Amino acid sequence: MASATKKRGVGPVIWDYMTTVDHKKIAILYLIAGGFFFALGGIEAMLIRIQLAVPNNDFLSAGLFNEVITMHGTTMIFLAAMPLLFAFMNATVPLQIGARDVAFPFLNSLGVWLFIFGGIFLNLSWFMGGAPDAGWTSYASLSIKSPGHGIDFYALGLQIAGAGTLISGINFVTTIISMRAPGMTYMRMPLMTWTTLVASVLIVFAFPPLTIGLFLLTFDRMFGSSFFLVETGGNTIIWEHLFWIFGHPEVYILILPAFGIFSEIFATFARKRLFGYSAMVFATVLIGFFGFMVWAHHMFTVGLGPTANAIFSVATMAIAVPTGIKIFNWIFTIWGGSIEFTTPMLYALAFIPSFVMGGVTGIMQAAAPADYQYHDSYFIVAHFHYVIVGGVVFGLLAGLHYYWPLMFGTMLSEKLGKISFVLFVAGFHMTFLIQHFLGLWGMPRRVFTYLDGQGYNTSNMISTVGALMMAVAVIILLINIIITVAKNQKVGRDPWGDGRTLEWSLPLPVPHYNFAQTPLIRGLDAYWIEKKENDGKMMPAESLDDFHMPNNSIIPFVISLGLFVAAFGALHFASGKEWAIDAVSDLPQHPWALWVLILGLAIVFISMGVRSWKDDLGYYVTKEEVLKDLEEQERGAK
Amino acid sequence: MAEIKQEPISQKKLEYIRRERTKEMRQQMVSFALMIFLTFVAFGLVAMDLDASFVIPIVIGMAFLQVILQFYYFMHMKDKGHEYIKLMMLTGMFFAIAFVTTFIYIVWIGAPIE
Repeated sequence: MASATKKRGVGPVIWDYMTTVDHKKIAILYLIAGGFFFALGGIEAMLIRIQLAVPNNDFLSAGLFNEVITMHGTTMIFLAAMPLLFAFMNATVPLQIGARDVAFPFLNSLGVWLFIFGGIFLNLSWFMGGAPDAGWTSYASLSIKSPGHGIDFYALGLQIAGAGTLISGINFVTTIISMRAPGMTYMRMPLMTWTTLVASVLIVFAFPPLTIGLFLLTFDRMFGSSFFLVETGGNTIIWEHLFWIFGHPEVYILILPAFGIFSEIFATFARKRLFGYSAMVFATVLIGFFGFMVWAHHMFTVGLGPTANAIFSVATMAIAVPTGIKIFNWIFTIWGGSIEFTTPMLYALAFIPSFVMGGVTGIMQAAAPADYQYHDSYFIVAHFHYVIVGGVVFGLLAGLHYYWPLMFGTMLSEKLGKISFVLFVAGFHMTFLIQHFLGLWGMPRRVFTYLDGQGYNTSNMISTVGALMMAVAVIILLINIIITVAKNQKVGRDPWGDGRTLEWSLPLPVPHYNFAQTPLIRGLDAYWIEKKENDGKMMPAESLDDFHMPNNSIIPFVISLGLFVAAFGALHFASGKEWAIDAVSDLPQHPWALWVLILGLAIVFISMGVRSWKDDLGYYVTKEEVLKDLEEQERGAK
Repeated sequence: MAEIKQEPISQKKLEYIRRERTKEMRQQMVSFALMIFLTFVAFGLVAMDLDASFVIPIVIGMAFLQVILQFYYFMHMKDKGHEYIKLMMLTGMFFAIAFVTTFIYIVWIGAPIE
């Protein structure tokens, strides 16, 4: 730990990342793994668009197309968007509230490894007998019938990754509630921290229904129960409810941290205090609360009856109010500001109209009678890509440019960033705007091809060209990252020059203990206040002294590996068994499955035992060490 | 590895802590006895074969009482510094009750099972 600055080989660096409990390194792990899955989901998107580019195409077979759309949705939501948001939450939140690490560093590491192993497990389905093919929603009526092990990979992989997410959610709630620096009251927390708090609370409440739904599905498919088997008294609608009780809050879990990133960017590059800060906080909490009351609007055509449809319709429309508050506050923040058009700011500016368009189509679908028309058409595909790409992905790309110096100590090239911005935004609108019309003209979603002469040809081609533009934009972004890493031109404290919140007051690269002395917070935009009213240095809230830090540990990696192994046992457990559902009962038997399951769980419980019974009290960073670091920073600055 | 650095506890403070713990223990024992008693009453009511419409509300009422005792005395919700836990628990209960109510009275998910 003291030797962190020394030059080391590749092996020790990998070991360091495998055992790390430092939130900044975990952020980088999330970024790399999430970025990898984002590329994978992007390739799947390209396959979909190539298949649909011309009518009667046979580039993908019908079955393979189903697998590709399922994996595209699942990968993008669970393995790309959420981890990338967790990357930025990990990178910024402890620094924004003046903490030396998160509340449970061990759990933070466990969360990232569970996600990585869950994601790998899910994607191994491609090589092991076929990917899941029942859509990312995996409705039980389809998923129970789906032959082979595809759905089993879905259920087990998401169970593992979901456990990681739940753990991280608990961790962030605790961190933000209990580890704020002196003076950092709730109404002085930066918006990124606020949205992380609300999103984490949503995770804590929303993931248990998914966990239960996945367990029921797992038991139906692998252990012979019949929760969703209609012929033995089950009910497939229960899956839809459980999935959407989770699924709707999930989209707010995605969008709220993106809102947080944009709020930071608007304030920074308009060089103004965020307009209506308290209204923004209020709107964030309200969106989170409403998010749980609207799940059935995904199920208007299930036949819940007019009472249910009316209630959920009105509740859904109510969400437009706090979201509108946010949109107006962002506009008023820019209004009269001295705007600097950096890449993150450009993404943020493009976000407002794009997201509003997605929101407006959302309100259209909230009207239940009208939704019967839009349901299962490309209109829906267009809507949710407008909110998720126009909201979340823009937020991720903006955040990547904005927080890159904080995470890596270098700046991404603005020129390449702007080129990829133009290509991405143009490609995005070209891909998805036309899909609204395709939907209204009657093209159903989730079809692997369409006939000639229905008037869909040109529009689908336009959509595919747009998707290719987005792909080129992402490739340029990758080139930008590679050039930046290769050049490795270090930047110093507050690289954007207009940093307002606490994280920019730190020297770059941020020392592994974050703050030599816990800072005193004197208001919203803590660093900005010190810059304007003081000498631009945070005032310390404690005297310089030794402080306690946690030790690294390989146990989270081993626990996750154990669950990964156990999942293979569970996967093959029902193969060829008499009592199994039709989908897997004619597969070859695997007598080893039970032993693999037991072995995996043994690894998990033994490593948990080691963690519980072996004391690991951490270590102290001494005053001398901190003083030495401070001296070095002083010299570096001169 | 380093040991956790701790200030030694003064004699007065130690006595105070002991007194508090005795009080805490007494409360826990009382509420534990109360809960056992409630459980017996519930079992008794069911065993006596009384009318279901009479037994069910009473048993649910006593269950509710037990939950409160559990939360406040066993899980320390009565103590200071548990405001967020209380808030989160109440929110969670609100959501859970909302879901169940929706299932039973609005979307009629119970109907196919009957």
